[in-house]
Amino acid sequence: MLPLNLAVLPWGILCGSLAVQNGFTPIEAQLMSLLVFAGSAQLVAIELIAKNTPLLTLLITVFIISARHFLYGLSVRHKLVGHRLRVRLPVSFVLTDELFAFSHHPKAYQTQARLVYALSAGFSFYVFWNIWTLIGVVAGSLLPDLTNLGLDFAIAATFIALVIPSIKNKATLATVVTAGISATSFKVMGLELWLVLAALLSMSVGYWVDKGVQS
Amino acid sequence: MIITLCLMAAITFMTRYLFLHKRLPFEIGPKGQKFLSFSAPAVLTAIWVPIVALPSGELHLSLTNPYIIGALTAIVVAYKTANIYATTLLGMIAFYCFL
Repeated sequence: MLPLNLAVLPWGILCGSLAVQNGFTPIEAQLMSLLVFAGSAQLVAIELIAKNTPLLTLLITVFIISARHFLYGLSVRHKLVGHRLRVRLPVSFVLTDELFAFSHHPKAYQTQARLVYALSAGFSFYVFWNIWTLIGVVAGSLLPDLTNLGLDFAIAATFIALVIPSIKNKATLATVVTAGISATSFKVMGLELWLVLAALLSMSVGYWVDKGVQS
Repeated sequence: MIITLCLMAAITFMTRYLFLHKRLPFEIGPKGQKFLSFSAPAVLTAIWVPIVALPSGELHLSLTNPYIIGALTAIVVAYKTANIYATTLLGMIAFYCFL
């Protein structure tokens, strides 16, 4: 889990620095990471708030960006639904892209050790996300523009590290190829729901390839 | 501002919690579960490929794009080593060498 804590460093710094440079007070910038804890939603929200976007538009945008979490919840539901609310609530709070990527072991969340591991990983992401945000808040108050440093590449590199080794059959390969092409095309076309649409399309392709391979 | 932040937090939390709620008006069968098993590679790839292919919002698929160089390096390292540290580190080094 340590490399993932480091991998969100650039985004945390970006979030903190962009927020203060767009008129957030340092406390507001930090509160956003403490409360919302969702990198991509925060980055987009900062730009929208800075442009005085109406609240409803902002909230709908945040919803659209966060909609992928529905898929995560559905995917791990059978592993978690037997747990008490006091387990499911904290897991939900830290169910980020990174934690979800760690949820694929068939027994994930289901033994005591695996549950403790998942919660430790999830909350360590939370703690580090907030430390990186704090550094960004400080850096953003002192340095001019950090947005052109290519900080977003770190996220791409981490996700490549998570995805490529998981490609073990034709179905997953088809999913990945479809996801990359469709997400890029949908985003270029300006579709608001590009991420969710690309995910659903590529999951369908994976499902059908898997079915074809088996029959 | 604080109200806006709380509303945003409520939305992100709701999208994470909803399908972990104990009672839902439907069940997910084996077919649904199979479909959902592709969600991690699907979503993660749908996030990283546009970062690499659309660095400034426009399609830039060439070796003059440092994101492409970094990503290709990371893909090769990930394929050969399956190691998160090595992949991220060497990908970043390749990226910054050409930035």
